[in-house]
Amino acid sequence: MLERVGIPAVSLCTDAFRITAEAMARSLGFPGYQYVAVPHPIASRTQAEIDVIAHDFLPEIIRVLGAGLTIRPAD
Amino acid sequence: MPPDEDQLVIDDAPLADPAQVRRAMEYYAARGWTDGLPVVPVTASYLEEFLATTSRDRGEVILPMPHLNRALTVRLAAINAALAGCLPSYFPVVLAAWDSFLLDGGVPKAIWQSTTGTAPFTVVNGPIRQQIGLNSRGNLYGSGFRANATIGRAIRLGSINAFGLRPHVLDQATQGTPAKYSCCIAENEEDSPWPSLAADNGIGPSESACSSTVIRSVLHIEARHTIVPEQLAADLADTICRTGAMVRAFASVYVVLNPEHARLFDSRGWSKQDLKQAIVERGSRTYRQLEASGKEAIAKGTGWRVPADHPDAIPQPAPDDPDTPVRIVRSTHDVQIVVAGAPNAGVSSVVETFGAVGRPASTVKIEDQQ
Repeated sequence: MLERVGIPAVSLCTDAFRITAEAMARSLGFPGYQYVAVPHPIASRTQAEIDVIAHDFLPEIIRVLGAGLTIRPAD
Repeated sequence: MPPDEDQLVIDDAPLADPAQVRRAMEYYAARGWTDGLPVVPVTASYLEEFLATTSRDRGEVILPMPHLNRALTVRLAAINAALAGCLPSYFPVVLAAWDSFLLDGGVPKAIWQSTTGTAPFTVVNGPIRQQIGLNSRGNLYGSGFRANATIGRAIRLGSINAFGLRPHVLDQATQGTPAKYSCCIAENEEDSPWPSLAADNGIGPSESACSSTVIRSVLHIEARHTIVPEQLAADLADTICRTGAMVRAFASVYVVLNPEHARLFDSRGWSKQDLKQAIVERGSRTYRQLEASGKEAIAKGTGWRVPADHPDAIPQPAPDDPDTPVRIVRSTHDVQIVVAGAPNAGVSSVVETFGAVGRPASTVKIEDQQ
């Protein structure tokens, strides 16, 4: 939604929610929307574990953030 | 008396070819337009019978869901009421139930996509109960009563077919609840000593109304043992404050009292408001009890209950006395009271809700039949 009005944005979810993320993208008329899926779960991890995930996924988050409203490349 | 086994089989096809009926039912099932149970085939002429019961335009949006790019219209609500097995005369109740979900606020904010897995819950008051045969007495939560079963189901089918909230896709419920099939009750106003839920919310005696919200659990209260209102209030408050239910910081419930329990309170001079207040006063856990479950602190952002050493916990010093009570029931608005069930035992229930908090029930008047 933000990207449609020109505001850089990145959607994050855990990999348990991939099916829903794809369905949401289709519902909003943008199948293949690029988002970042991080390992599940989040709520029951320690701060140290969260920090590791954040560190590992930061490059991908920055890449998607800078990519604009784009369809993700085919696997 | 249960029907004879042979009576369950239509062998002379008095109205239609059963094979055609099955084909129609399979048509819906194959497309996923169902909660898993067979649905009633809907023809254009049958749909018109539903739409004829309301003055509202068929294209009117009842409940928008902008984040899904979808909306429930009067027509879509009617189709799903028919699929659910409603009679056309039930449709004004279904419409008011949807209006009440909109007012309650959780549904348009995507609560039915949540992992918590809430079910639609509707309480019906007023003369419509007798007009369409809604059960308010024994076996309140089901099964056995067409109006209750199908009005509740009409809401769930609407969520599946109008919004696409299918399990494993947009409905992310981790486990859900059996109440998702259907959960619509009527208040037993005739056996209640108190004004009804609708009357509490400004609805007149000749009018009918729906009060809807989303729920997680229906917990039963066994309390045949006491004639002391304070003991019964303590039993209810203890259940309401169970730590296992706590995601949010505070509890919000419907207390569905059987008429015997309601009369017990009334005979000791307690009004409905007195009972709500008594539950609020007893609605706490000690810091020590919350800490034992790791739910003594509140998280930034979500407001969820977390351990004090959780990275998201709002910093707060532990009290000097660990037996200091921590409030779980915040206001009398978070305890709605309904009288329903058979007047035959001290068995009541607590319905744990996940909708609006801190304000009156989302009660909506039901449109008179056209």
